[in-house]
Amino acid sequence: MAARAHPFDRASRARLLPAAGRALKPIREARGFARAMLWTGAGITLFFILMALLAPVISPYKFNQYQEHGHRFAQLAKPSSKHLMGTTVQSTDVMARVIWGAQTELKVVVIALVMALAVGVPLGLLSGYFGGPLDRVLVLIMDALFAFPYLLIAIVIAFLLSNSIGKGVLTAAIAITAAYVPLYFRVVRNHVISVREEPYVDAARALGARPRTVIRKYVFFNVVQNVPPIATLNAADAILLLAALGFLGYGIQPSDGAEWGYDINRAVSDASSGIWWTGLFPGLAIVLLVTGLTLLGEGLNETINPVLRRRRFGRIDFGPPTPTDAENL
Amino acid sequence: MSRKRTSRRKAFAAGLLAGAVVLAVAASQSFAGGSSHKSAAASGVIVDGTTDTVVNIDPANQYDYGSFTLDLPLFQGLYGFPNGAKLKPVLATGCKASASLKTWTCALRHGVKFADGTPMTSADVKWSFDRVNKIKGDQGIYTLLSNLKNVTVSGQYTVVFHLKTAQSTWPLILSTNAGYVVPKAKYPFNKILPNTSPQVGTGPYQLVKFTPGQQAVLKANPNYWGPKPKNSGIVINYYSKSSTMKLALAKGEIDMAFREFTPTELTSLRKTKGVVVHEGNGVVIRYLVFNVTRPPFDKLAVRQALAYLWPRQTIASRVYHGSVQPLYSMVPAGLPGHIDAFKSAYGASPNVAKAESVLKAAGVTTPVPVDIWWTPSHYGDASADEYTEIQRALNASGLFKVTLKSAEWAQYSGALGKTYGAFQLGWFPDYPDAEDYEVPFFQTGNFTNNGYSNAQMTSLITKEHGAKTIEARLAAIKAIQVLSAKDVSMIPYWQGKMIAVSRSNVHGVDSTLDAAFYMRFWLLSKS
Amino acid sequence: MAAQGTSLRKYLLTRLGLVIPMVLILLTIVFLLMRVAPGDPISASLGGHAPQSVINQIKHQLGFDKPLYTQYWDYLSGIARGDFGTTITDHRKLTDIIKVNGAATLELTFFAMLIAVAVGVFVGLVAGRFRDTPLDVGGRLFGIVVYATPVFFLGLMGQLVFGVWLNWLPTSDRASPITQATFQTHTDIFTLDAIIGGQWSALGDIVKHLILPATTLGLATAGIFIRLIRVNVIRTLKDDYIEAARARGITERSVVYHHAFKNALVPVITIVGLNMALLLGGAVLTETTFNWPGIGHALVTYLENRDYTAVQGIIVVFALVVVAVSVLIDFLNAYIDPRIRY
Repeated sequence: MAARAHPFDRASRARLLPAAGRALKPIREARGFARAMLWTGAGITLFFILMALLAPVISPYKFNQYQEHGHRFAQLAKPSSKHLMGTTVQSTDVMARVIWGAQTELKVVVIALVMALAVGVPLGLLSGYFGGPLDRVLVLIMDALFAFPYLLIAIVIAFLLSNSIGKGVLTAAIAITAAYVPLYFRVVRNHVISVREEPYVDAARALGARPRTVIRKYVFFNVVQNVPPIATLNAADAILLLAALGFLGYGIQPSDGAEWGYDINRAVSDASSGIWWTGLFPGLAIVLLVTGLTLLGEGLNETINPVLRRRRFGRIDFGPPTPTDAENL
Repeated sequence: MSRKRTSRRKAFAAGLLAGAVVLAVAASQSFAGGSSHKSAAASGVIVDGTTDTVVNIDPANQYDYGSFTLDLPLFQGLYGFPNGAKLKPVLATGCKASASLKTWTCALRHGVKFADGTPMTSADVKWSFDRVNKIKGDQGIYTLLSNLKNVTVSGQYTVVFHLKTAQSTWPLILSTNAGYVVPKAKYPFNKILPNTSPQVGTGPYQLVKFTPGQQAVLKANPNYWGPKPKNSGIVINYYSKSSTMKLALAKGEIDMAFREFTPTELTSLRKTKGVVVHEGNGVVIRYLVFNVTRPPFDKLAVRQALAYLWPRQTIASRVYHGSVQPLYSMVPAGLPGHIDAFKSAYGASPNVAKAESVLKAAGVTTPVPVDIWWTPSHYGDASADEYTEIQRALNASGLFKVTLKSAEWAQYSGALGKTYGAFQLGWFPDYPDAEDYEVPFFQTGNFTNNGYSNAQMTSLITKEHGAKTIEARLAAIKAIQVLSAKDVSMIPYWQGKMIAVSRSNVHGVDSTLDAAFYMRFWLLSKS
Repeated sequence: MAAQGTSLRKYLLTRLGLVIPMVLILLTIVFLLMRVAPGDPISASLGGHAPQSVINQIKHQLGFDKPLYTQYWDYLSGIARGDFGTTITDHRKLTDIIKVNGAATLELTFFAMLIAVAVGVFVGLVAGRFRDTPLDVGGRLFGIVVYATPVFFLGLMGQLVFGVWLNWLPTSDRASPITQATFQTHTDIFTLDAIIGGQWSALGDIVKHLILPATTLGLATAGIFIRLIRVNVIRTLKDDYIEAARARGITERSVVYHHAFKNALVPVITIVGLNMALLLGGAVLTETTFNWPGIGHALVTYLENRDYTAVQGIIVVFALVVVAVSVLIDFLNAYIDPRIRY
C-alpha cells in the first residue's frame, strides 16, 4: 500500500467534493418549517454580519461621535430625521451605537467561541480517548464548573482580567470562553467515548495504528459533526451572556466601543423618565440577532440530526422493465 | 393503572386550581382595599427611599453615609448641628478649653434618658469614647479620635477630654459619629453590637425593625428629652437602583427620596406632577488627584495646563443639569474661610492660550499623552459622562491626548496614587469645616498616596490646627487654599447641592438642607 | 429485588460521594480567584477616605495578610463547623443571608418555574402534536423569540408598560414599604408566611409584587421547555408502541393524550433539574432589575465590593443547591430506569 498521501493533494480533493456534496444533501433535502428556519436564520445572521463588517460605511456617525461640524448633538433627543433612533445621555446617536454594536458583539462572540473550541475540543478528545486519571480529574473539574450558572463564572473571570488587560473585547471574550469550555469538553468527550467502542476503531487499534492516527482519521471528523449546531446555538447564548455582562457593568465602556447590554443598562434609568428609545433599539437588536442564530442552529439541527429529519418522498423511477429470466422461461 | 394515574392527575389539577383561587381572592382584596400610600398617609409615618447602604448601626464602627443617615435620628453626641450649619451643644451644655487647648472640660445636660428609659451619665460618655478606641473597628472611624489621649470623668455630669496636641476645633470632632453616646449597660466594650440586636440611643427615634439591605423602621422615642418629632415614625427603604426608586416615588409608594438620583432622573422629576425637588447648599465635592511623582504629572507645567483647561461649566450644565456648581477650591463654598483660589490663579473658564503658553515655557511637547482614571459606579453612573466630557474638552484643545481608563471601586480604591497618575475622587466631610478639607488632602502621606509633600503646607496645617483665635485660623485656611492652587496636586471641579425629592404633601424638607448635610427626619411632616 | 435495592443504594452513595470533591474544587477555585483578583474589601470600604496606614492596620487585624494557605485552612475548618463566617462589608452572618435572601430567591424561582412549566409544557405539547402546522410554527417562534429576549430587557419593558404607562402593577421589591414594615415573617417566604398568619391584605400586595418578576423570569425560561417538550412529543409519537396502539384501533385522541403526552412529560422533572443552573443565573438578572432582595442580587453586590467571605459562602450554597438538585434528579431517573445506574 502506498504511504498515506497528504490530505489535500489532488487525489484526495477529487474524493472530497462528492463527499461534501453528500454531507450537504440533508440541507438540500430540507422541507417545511425546518427549511424555513434554516434560511430565515441564515438570512438574519448574514444581515448582522454584514452590518458588523460594513459598520464604518453604513453607520451615519461614529459610535462615540457627539458632534458634527462643531455642532453638538442634542442630549436624549427623540427619534427624528437627523437621528433615526434618537440620541443618548452622552449625545451619541443610538442607531450608530446599534450598528457598531453589531461589530462588538460578533467580534467578542467569534473570538470566544474559537477559543472555547480550541480549548474544549482537544481536551475532550484526549480525555475521552485516553481515559485514566487525567480523564477523571478533568471530568471532576469540568462537571463542577458545568453545574454552575454561566453568568457567575463569566462575572468572576471578567473581574480578574479587567485589571491586567483592561476592560475590552478580549476580557469579555475570555470570560465567555471560560463559561463554555466545560460544555464543549463534555459533548466531545461523551461522543468520543461512544465512538471509541466502535468496531472500526477497535480494528484500527488492533492493526497497530498510533493514537494520533486513530483520533485524526476516525474519531475527530465523527465527533466534529456535532459541533456546528451546538456552536450556532452557543453563539446565540454567548450574545445573551455578553449583553448580561454589559448590563451588570462588567463589559465594555462606551468610549472604547458600542455594546448593546451596556446601553440597556444606561437606558434603565432613562426609561423611568419616559425615554424609551435608548433601550428599545439595542434590545430589539439583541432579540433579532439571537433569534436569527437560534433559527439557524435549530434549522441545522433539524436537517442534520437523523432523528428529527424529515425526508422528502420523491418518485422512484425503476425504468422500463428489462426482460428477466422468468419471461424468457 | 391508567385510571389511578388519571385520578392522580385530576387531584393535582384540582390542587393547582384551589391554589390559584386563593391567590386570586387575596389579590382582589388588595385591589379593592385601596393602595398602599393611602394607608401611609393616615398614620403619619414618612417613607423615605435611598440608594445608600447601611454597613453598621453601632456608631463605634461606621464611616459611610448610609449608616450615618440611619444613626442620626437614633443617637446623639455632645455637640451637633440640630438646626442649620451652626455647631451647637446637644448632649453637653457647653465645653471649656484649657489655655493650652489640650484639655477640654464638658458639662453634660441633666435629665437625658436613653430610649430604654435609663438616664445618661458621664460614665456612658466615657464608655462610648473608650470603646471606639478599644474596638478600632474596620471602618476606621476611630481615626477621627486620633488626637484623643484619654477621657476622665468628674461626677455624674462632667467629662474631661485630654488631647495629645492643641486643637481649637475639638467640639467639631465631638459632633461626628465617633462621639455618639451609647449606654454602658447595653453596648459591649470590645466588640460591635450586631445590626440584628436592639440598638439604644438618646435620639428622637428608636429602631423598631431592621431588615438588612431592605428596610429600617423607626418610631418616635417616648423617652426623648427634646421636642417631639413632627411625625410618628420613619421607614427607610433601601433600593439598589435609583430608577426603581424614581418609579416608586412617582407612584406614591414612598413619600420622599434622599440620595441619589441620576441627573436625567432629576430633570425628569422636576417636571413630574405631585413631586417637588428640594435643593440646598451642599458640601460634597468632586476633584481630580495627581500623583506628583509620576510622569508626566511630575511637571508642574502639565498640571497647571490641565488646571487652565478644566471644563467645569460643561460638566455642571451638560452632565448634571445644574444640580452641581463649579468649584474653585478644595474647600467648598459656604464654609467659613472659602476663597475661589483656582479662579484667581487659573481663571473661571477654560483658557487654551494660557495653557499652551505655560506648556511651551516649560518645553513640553504637545499633544501630551495622558491616562486619566475614573470609577464607573461608586460615584454614580454620571461619572462616565463626566469623564467623557473631560476627555472631549482636553482633546479638543489640541494640547493633550487623553486615554480614559476605569476600574470598579473595589479595585480602584486600593490602587489610587499607588498605581494611577491622575484619578477621580469624591469627598463628603466628617464634619462641615474647612479643616476637614485640607488635613486629609495636603498632609504628607495622605490617603490618596499621591506623593505630595510640601513643608510649607505642613506647617500651615499645624498652624490652622492649633490656632488660638478664629481670625488666625481663617487666615491659615486661606493661605492653605492659595498654596494648593499654586502646587496643583489636586484640581477641585464641582460642589454638589444637597438634594432631596419629596411628594408635594411632605413639609419641612427645605429646613434640613444645609451645609451640615444632615437629613433631620424629625423636622418633616405630612399633610 | 434485593439486588436492585443494593445497586440503587450503591448508585446513590457514589453520587453523593462525588458531591464533596466537586464542592471542594469549586470552593478552592473561588477562594483562589477572589484572593488573586486585585482589590480587597477593606480598601473598598476605606479607600478614598482613610490613609494607607489605617488600611494596612485593619487588614492585619482581620488576618488578611496571613499566608494564603493559613487563610484557606481557617476558612475550610470554619465551613466544616458550619460557620460560614460574617460578611466583611456589612457584618451580616452568612447563614442569615442564605436564609433570608435564599428564601426570597426560592419564592421567585418557584413561581417562575411554575409559569415556565405551565407555558412551556402547554405550548410544547400543542406544537409537537400539530407538527408543521401554523400552531407548531407559532409555538416554536414564540419559544425562540422569548428565549432570545434578554431577561433584563423583558423586565424593563414589563416595568414600562405595566408599571408606568398602565400603572397596574408595582415595579420593584417584594411588598410595599408599609406592608413590609408591619409584616410578620417566619419562614421569610412571604406568600407562605402570609397564608400561615392569615394576613390577607398583605398577601394581595405580595402577590401583586410577584407578578412581574416571576412572569419575566418564567417566560424567559419557558423557551427551553417548549423546545424540549416538543421534541419529546415528536419522538414519542414515532415510537413503536404508539404505532401498535394505532394499529389496535385506539382513537387518535386517546393515543395522543393517554400515551404520548404522559410519556413525553416524564423528562420534565429532569429538565427542571438541569435548568436549575440556568434559572439561578437568570434570577441574578431579574433580581437586579426588580430590586428583588434575593441571593443572586446579593452575590453581585458582594462581588462588586470584593467581600471574600460573602462571595465564597454564597457560591458554595449555589453549588450545593445545583448539585443537590442534580443528584435528586439522577436518583429519580435511576429509580425509574435501572439501565442508568453504574
